[in-house]
Amino acid sequence: MKNIGRFITLLVLVLVLSACGDNQEGTGSKDNKASADSGRTEITYWYAFGDKIGENNENLVKMFNDSQDKILVKAEFQGGYGDLHSKTQAAFAAKNAPEVTLNEIASMGVFARSGMTENLTPFIENDSDVNLEDFNPGLMGNSYVDGNIYGLPYLRSTPILYMNASMLKEAGLDPAGPKNWKEFEEYLRALTVDGQSVGMSMPVGIWYFEAFVGAGGEDMLASDDSEVTFNGTAGVEALEFWKRLAEEGILKIHAGDEAAAQATQDFANGRSAMMFTSTANLTQNLAIAEENGFELNTAFMPSNKTSGVPTGGANLVMTAGLSPEKQQAAWEFIKWMTAKEQTIYASKYTGYLPSRLSAIDSEEMQSLYEEIPQYKVAVDQLQYGKARPMAEAYPEISTILADEITRSLLEPDLSPKDALDKAAELANPLLQ
Amino acid sequence: MKRNPIWMVVNGIGLVLLICIFALPFVWMISTSFKTLGETMTFPPKWIPNQLLWENFSKAWNSGPFLKYLMNSTIVSVGILILQFATIIPAAYAFARYRFKGSNFFFGVTMITLMIPTQLIFLPVYLQMSSWGLLDTLWALILPFASSAFGIFLLRQSFKQVPEELLEAARLDQASEWKIIMKIMVPMAKPVLITFGMFSFIAHWNDYFWPLVMTTTDASRTLPLGITKLREVDGGVAWNILMAGNLILVIPILFIFFFAQRQIIRAFIYTGVK
Repeated sequence: MKNIGRFITLLVLVLVLSACGDNQEGTGSKDNKASADSGRTEITYWYAFGDKIGENNENLVKMFNDSQDKILVKAEFQGGYGDLHSKTQAAFAAKNAPEVTLNEIASMGVFARSGMTENLTPFIENDSDVNLEDFNPGLMGNSYVDGNIYGLPYLRSTPILYMNASMLKEAGLDPAGPKNWKEFEEYLRALTVDGQSVGMSMPVGIWYFEAFVGAGGEDMLASDDSEVTFNGTAGVEALEFWKRLAEEGILKIHAGDEAAAQATQDFANGRSAMMFTSTANLTQNLAIAEENGFELNTAFMPSNKTSGVPTGGANLVMTAGLSPEKQQAAWEFIKWMTAKEQTIYASKYTGYLPSRLSAIDSEEMQSLYEEIPQYKVAVDQLQYGKARPMAEAYPEISTILADEITRSLLEPDLSPKDALDKAAELANPLLQ
Repeated sequence: MKRNPIWMVVNGIGLVLLICIFALPFVWMISTSFKTLGETMTFPPKWIPNQLLWENFSKAWNSGPFLKYLMNSTIVSVGILILQFATIIPAAYAFARYRFKGSNFFFGVTMITLMIPTQLIFLPVYLQMSSWGLLDTLWALILPFASSAFGIFLLRQSFKQVPEELLEAARLDQASEWKIIMKIMVPMAKPVLITFGMFSFIAHWNDYFWPLVMTTTDASRTLPLGITKLREVDGGVAWNILMAGNLILVIPILFIFFFAQRQIIRAFIYTGVK
């Protein structure tokens, strides 16, 4: 009997405890109603990523809530972009989606075309506060889906070349970095010391491949998304270049899930002299460089016939099917978040790019660029920025392409042309 | 044979190797959790950091409402455990001791649920929870696991081994079925119950997928989700802070092992009756 008694006590205790938990949530849970006492319209905003990026989101939302008394935004973290997207889709199906969320820029098309995000064009046209011209054109490519604007640039990045300037100087190279493919190759060769360090360590990143295809003046997909074009002249040339460098041993290729982490690690401990990575990693890498005693410099992605670099990161979007009141509140919030002052704040806090031209010209950003010139490189590179492909199948196509590129780099007999044709053959049916 | 000194040395080396294989990742985690970010990247890797960076732990702890996560994790894991005991003990007793119409059929159905992976059923459960308004509450994390086919199966096997004479003797003494369960069956099955309890507790303590799907706010999140906030960054992961967070996650489990170890061994020794 003692056992039963104890058992029941515990059971009751747990039920009461979890009921308490429920009550606490009750006040904060989204009932999709304006809270009665304050009269403020409540909206929910879902964001991706923790750490500095998460703090930036929480801080900005708090600042927005303090700045006015009509709208109350609740910011909620939902994981990485993948988790955020699938959770938004599930919540949309269950009819409890957040009013405002983020779309990783290559996913803008999927969300807009399946009717999950709202067309923002009417809001922009009816609002004299918004000057579209002020948004950096290099970042706007992915905002448009079928001619309408579905999102505004928020936390945005672009891949750049990171260099261990101390090693460059030691090898007698100009620490400003290579300009084009030819110089890039010379740098790699000069920086490779047998058994000690390699010119560059790199994962098979489609993001970087896009920049190399862009340097040849071509695109990954046809403009109407009907077929892939990465197996054209520019793509084949890019992969032939990679393969030649890898076979010479001056470009080290990593494959697998940990490839990017390995490349970062090689760079951090001086076993590679250069790497490609996002501007979003600049703050952390500057800290590592300082701790490990080397000088870090940044440069544009090397150009070939021309320059054409992808951008990354996320746009702010509004979910579809909201009441006019919620729509207005969501729009006010999106507008505020993408305004000049906030993009300056976010850029300084996270290292992402400022999305507005007036922000780049502002005194605050200019003095930051003077102090840490490495930040400036990414902003300048945006003049060559182009949209990422937004076809629904692009994530899957990227995986196929990365596999075939890896195979071509690892198998001496597999020519780049054959590998890319094979990838195209597998990818094209996905675009039908 | 066992007294042979060579054999003992070989045996010892084998055991040390085995310990190394199991303990190395843990030691590496602990070591990383005290390093600076630069130190996590050095090559060759350093086993002992230059100085112990305790602030990694406070950084990890302050990256979110960790006390809330800890409470949620405890409520969810303990709540599931209690509900599971409440359902699997009577169910296993019925399947082990009663012959009723369709008993094999129902046992079969129970076994089939063992073979369905969570990922297959999470969407209907998600929609069900949504229509009950339980999404983003602790109930959505507890209720779907209120019973366990694995536990029923395990317990039924051990209940079956209890000699029938023992039960008849109890019935002659006018013991109720409930009393038979609590006074005879449960004590005899103690090792199985403890083992199952450990499995269940650890599985739900570490569960990432289910809370990820069912919760959207910090108010109902559990520890593993709090720790992903440290891992989900755009680009460079701060491994030292992440490992400090992981250490916070596993310490309670290590404590339970530490204190339950004697219990588990004793429970196994006491099962003399077969």
